[in-house]
Amino acid sequence: MKQLLITLVAIVAALPLSAQKGLRINEVFEGNIVHELALQESLVKGESLAPFKLKVLHTVKFTTGDSQRDKVEALFEEDMKGRLSDDDENLELEYRDGHLYYAIVQIADIKKGLHRYICYQSRTNMAEHTITLVYMEGKASLADLRKTFKKK
Amino acid sequence: MNKVIPENIRLLLDRYLDGESTQEELRQLGEYLSHADRLPADLMPYAQMFALLDETQPTPSVQALDRLAADRPSPNLSLAGRGSRRLYLLLAAACIAAFAFILLAPLRLEEESMAVAYVDGKKLDDKQMAMQMGQEALQEIFSNGNQEEQLSNIFNGL
Repeated sequence: MKQLLITLVAIVAALPLSAQKGLRINEVFEGNIVHELALQESLVKGESLAPFKLKVLHTVKFTTGDSQRDKVEALFEEDMKGRLSDDDENLELEYRDGHLYYAIVQIADIKKGLHRYICYQSRTNMAEHTITLVYMEGKASLADLRKTFKKK
Repeated sequence: MNKVIPENIRLLLDRYLDGESTQEELRQLGEYLSHADRLPADLMPYAQMFALLDETQPTPSVQALDRLAADRPSPNLSLAGRGSRRLYLLLAAACIAAFAFILLAPLRLEEESMAVAYVDGKKLDDKQMAMQMGQEALQEIFSNGNQEEQLSNIFNGL
């Protein structure tokens, strides 16, 4: 009985932790790679995202040098290992000059029917890189998201 | 105690028939009725009845009854144990439900209405700005696959 109670308490206590927590790129969202003062961040959850069939949308944008770009890229590539598949339905990926240029990756669901995506974009101007990272989850498929957010 | 003689046996039988016999009186009755050489005619049916009872349903001794009672758990105690266990389960379930409700209800409400933006380290509780920043980020990323957009970006970069 005591063991059961402890287990249940642990499960309930763990629920408030975001699904994003298990990802390596969370280091970036938490300001551990690039100082949080340099980040432009938005976090939207719930009803506002219903038209996009999403539940969570977390974005962060910052401008940085080669060293930090490489760290962020490495973290993202680590998380990419958890991708659902290499099919076009679940993945968009492009490298330029040996570095990740942009990626849209569907990673394994942690709850049935609730899809998770991580996105990366790097724009280089002179020696600076403007990086955008996105984490989102919801019922939307990648096709739905393309239809909604792709500029015509 | 009265001596076991035919006169007393009738008294003992009366007590037996009234259900008031002690174990000792029963033993005396059984012994007398089974061992008496000559029984009065009116006591013969009782002797036969006692003989029959002895054969079919031997009366368990007090010690045997004590041993039986010691071996078996008290039915009352068992029921009480089962009842308290069920009560503990119910209490545990109620505690867990209350705990989950307290923890998760505010979280759900928070999730439903959360929209924040951080710019230059400042937290802005501006739902519109948070939404706009999020949408712009997604539009930028999802437009990467667009050939014209890519070319435009490349030329602008150059």
